[in-house]
Amino acid sequence: MRAFLKERPSIGLSLFRPALAWTVGAHVIPSLFQLSDNYLHSGFKLKNGSFFPLSILGFVEASPDWVVRLVAILFIFSTVAFGLGYKTRLSCALMTLGCYYFYALNSLHIGTLSYDILLVTLTLVCLFNYTGDAFSLDQFRRGDVAGFWRLRPFFVQRLLQVQLTGIFWGTALAKFTVGGNWLTDNPYYALMHYPQQGVVRDFPLRSFLATQPDLCHSLGLCLIVFEFLVSLSWWFGRTRWLGIALGTAFQIMLWLTLHVPTIFLFLFPAMMLFFVPPEEWLAWIEQRRSYQASRGRAVLLYDGHCGFCKESVKRLQVLDLFGYIDLRDYHTVANLAAIHPSLSLARLESEMVLVEPDGRVSGGFDAFRRLCLRLAFLAPLAPFVHLPGAKAIGGRAYRWVATHRYLFLPRANHCAVGGSGGAAGSSSTKT
Amino acid sequence: MTKSATSLIDSAPGKMPATRLRQLSSVVFVVVWIALFFYETLRLNYLSPLLGRALPKLPLLYPPAGWIMFYQIEPRYGYAEVYRINGKSAELIDPHDIFATQAIGYDNIHRNMLVSVLDARRGEVFCAYLKRKFPDAGGFAIVHAEYPDLIASPDRVLRRVSYRCE
Repeated sequence: MRAFLKERPSIGLSLFRPALAWTVGAHVIPSLFQLSDNYLHSGFKLKNGSFFPLSILGFVEASPDWVVRLVAILFIFSTVAFGLGYKTRLSCALMTLGCYYFYALNSLHIGTLSYDILLVTLTLVCLFNYTGDAFSLDQFRRGDVAGFWRLRPFFVQRLLQVQLTGIFWGTALAKFTVGGNWLTDNPYYALMHYPQQGVVRDFPLRSFLATQPDLCHSLGLCLIVFEFLVSLSWWFGRTRWLGIALGTAFQIMLWLTLHVPTIFLFLFPAMMLFFVPPEEWLAWIEQRRSYQASRGRAVLLYDGHCGFCKESVKRLQVLDLFGYIDLRDYHTVANLAAIHPSLSLARLESEMVLVEPDGRVSGGFDAFRRLCLRLAFLAPLAPFVHLPGAKAIGGRAYRWVATHRYLFLPRANHCAVGGSGGAAGSSSTKT
Repeated sequence: MTKSATSLIDSAPGKMPATRLRQLSSVVFVVVWIALFFYETLRLNYLSPLLGRALPKLPLLYPPAGWIMFYQIEPRYGYAEVYRINGKSAELIDPHDIFATQAIGYDNIHRNMLVSVLDARRGEVFCAYLKRKFPDAGGFAIVHAEYPDLIASPDRVLRRVSYRCE
């Protein structure tokens, strides 16, 4: 039980969040583009009475069309928000409720066995939602650098590990018990003969396999053994990464050869990563940080008397996962020339300055553009800040913000002179 | 709850410490969740036959029959066809025109989703749906088609009309 209750870093759950949101979105959102066919009163619907109590099915079916449209919009927003880690608990709850709602409304398009697996996973993650600790907008909003190392009860991850192994074992077991015919017949061979409109894709080796009954039978047996062994391999340090690689390759192969829902392809490899101890992820981050430190870090000089600037660099620290930047309040630097001979107090009072390890100096919006190229989390912004005209617009916006920086978050400003009213007053003299 | 408040509860005589209470509730949750997972994995196909009675299913979680992906595959294949009837001519409708939703990365039509319309109890609703989708058609025939043996006679297809929409 200690293996479940121990508190360990929640970084694995945070890494899982985008994969989970993508899996949900990729599966459900396409069905929302045909609302009138699928979910409104004009649609053709199937009800899953073995999953939902009749009362819930009746309640959901009574939804007016405008409610369906509203839930669809809420669902899309909450899925995107959860993927980005914005208001993670609320967005996860809304997204999960949306998943149940559309499933109850019509199971024809989204209802599959893999969707049931997705719902179990979502429910567990939602009940104990630590997925916003890191790699999230929530972490960014809080300026929570410690989020990567936050300790949480490990049982959520453990339960997901047990679930994934149980599903693989259950699937393998069903193939030769309870009517499964993988030992007695030749199901793989039959699949190779499925008609054009069937579940098997037209992959290159298919016509060859359709002439090889013995090979197909052996492949079927290998598949059962594989499903048992690969899920076992995740639990042991020596075989873990090989198991994850093979498990992922298996999901890719399934997707390449069969029209199976992509839930398997998107969700299962991400779940396999739960078997990587969270400490291993953190050790890797630390290793990258040490490597960066040995190569030399960029120095970012900012105004430590300005509350807005301090809050901004705190958030920049969250984005700087691999420790590229050495943040320094220029007021505390005794010898600016030691950092770079071209630095002057006048420049630092007007803009932040980035000095890169190769001696390159950039300031203001240019420094931000350089950071977009250097920090992984800012990389998505890089194409936009390098668009034609972006420099002129961004530079102007930066100068305006820099000029008025003491007016934002005035309580967080450093009072340099006297005790009262210094912050706002000093802003006018400084800027 | 603040740290000091927690420690006050922890130290109160006769009270269970908050951390222990949290741990206990976690233990209960873990045990119940694992028990439910294995119960639902084994319920329909293993436990119910063993006990000789249908055991209840937990609503809103878990599939109805455990993890039975591709467990039983026979060399025959049944599917549905929908024909547009105009006068005496019958024209096969592409299923993608009936259910136009395009899933990402796979094709639901290839997963035989159209087969669910064969149930005549759904006929009335499906006919209304077809009339809305294809207003020019005079009527529709919903046909159950089946390859009786994909390996021995791969070109032999048996067809029978399940129901018609007039």
